[in-house]
Amino acid sequence: MSEERETRVFMITPNSMITPDQLVREIHAMGKGVTVKETCYGTLAEGPRESVRGVLKEIRKKHPYDIYSKVRAYPAGDPRRCRAQHGTKPGFVQLEAEWEALPMIQYGIQCCERGEGFDVPREKEKLSAEEFKKICEAVR
Amino acid sequence: MKIFISPPNSLILFDLVERFGHEPLGAMAAIQERIDNIELDMPPMNVTLDDVIGGLKYAGVEVPSGIRGRLSLWGPLIDTADAAIIVEDPPFSFGCVGCERSDEMVKYMLHRRGIPVISVKYPENSEEAKAAVGRIKEFLEGLK
Repeated sequence: MSEERETRVFMITPNSMITPDQLVREIHAMGKGVTVKETCYGTLAEGPRESVRGVLKEIRKKHPYDIYSKVRAYPAGDPRRCRAQHGTKPGFVQLEAEWEALPMIQYGIQCCERGEGFDVPREKEKLSAEEFKKICEAVR
Repeated sequence: MKIFISPPNSLILFDLVERFGHEPLGAMAAIQERIDNIELDMPPMNVTLDDVIGGLKYAGVEVPSGIRGRLSLWGPLIDTADAAIIVEDPPFSFGCVGCERSDEMVKYMLHRRGIPVISVKYPENSEEAKAAVGRIKEFLEGLK
C-alpha cells in the first residue's frame, strides 16, 4: 500500500444531526493539511497518511457514534469513480446498504460501551414436513 | 494484530476493527496498491497478467475468472492475516456485486490456515446488531 496517500470515507449515520457540510468545515478547521470533498453520505478526506489518521482520531473523539470511516482505494474526485464526471460507482450499492444499517451498529456499540449483555440470536431452523403440512391445510 | 474482514470492502467491519484497536485487512489496500503503482485502467475490474498467475495459487484454472481475480487480491491478505471476521449472508453479497463461490473459497482458505475466525450473522434488527457488535468486540479483545 502506498505510504504517501490515504483517502478516507467518513460516513454519517442517517439518524445523526451532523450534516456533510458541517463535517467538511470541522475537518478544515483542524488545519491538518488534508483535502476534503463533501459527498452525499459524508466526506472524503485525502492527504498524507499521518495527517488523515490525525483527522480520524479527532473525529472519533468528537463524534464517537455518529461517524464511521474506512479507507478508500481511489483518490477523491478520480474521474473513474466520481459521479460528477460520469464515473461508475460499483461499490455504492454496498455503501448504501451499510449506511442504512449504521443506526443498528451505533446502538450495538453504545450498548457495548455501557457494558450491557447480549443474547446470541438463534439460527433459523428448517421447517419440518409436519409443520409445512399443517400450514398448507390451514390455508387450503 | 492483522484482521481479515469478509466482505473485504465493508465499512462497518473496517471501522469496528480499527475502533477496537487492530489493523483491518480489506480489499481497499490491495486495490490502492494497483492504482498508485501500476497503470491499470480500472482496478479491480482490470488486473495484470501477474495477478492472474498469482490467483492460480488459490484457485485452479478451471475456476471462473471472476473468482480467481478476486482471490488474487484477497489471497495474499488471507495469507498475512492473524485472525478473521466473517459476516454471513450480507444482502449486498447477493446479485451482480457479490460472488457466493468466492465467499465459500475465502471461508475454506481461512479455516485451512487455522487462524482464529468468528462468523457473525448479518444483523436485521437492533438486538441482532447488539449481539453482532458484542461478539466482535469480545473476539477482538480476546486476541490481545
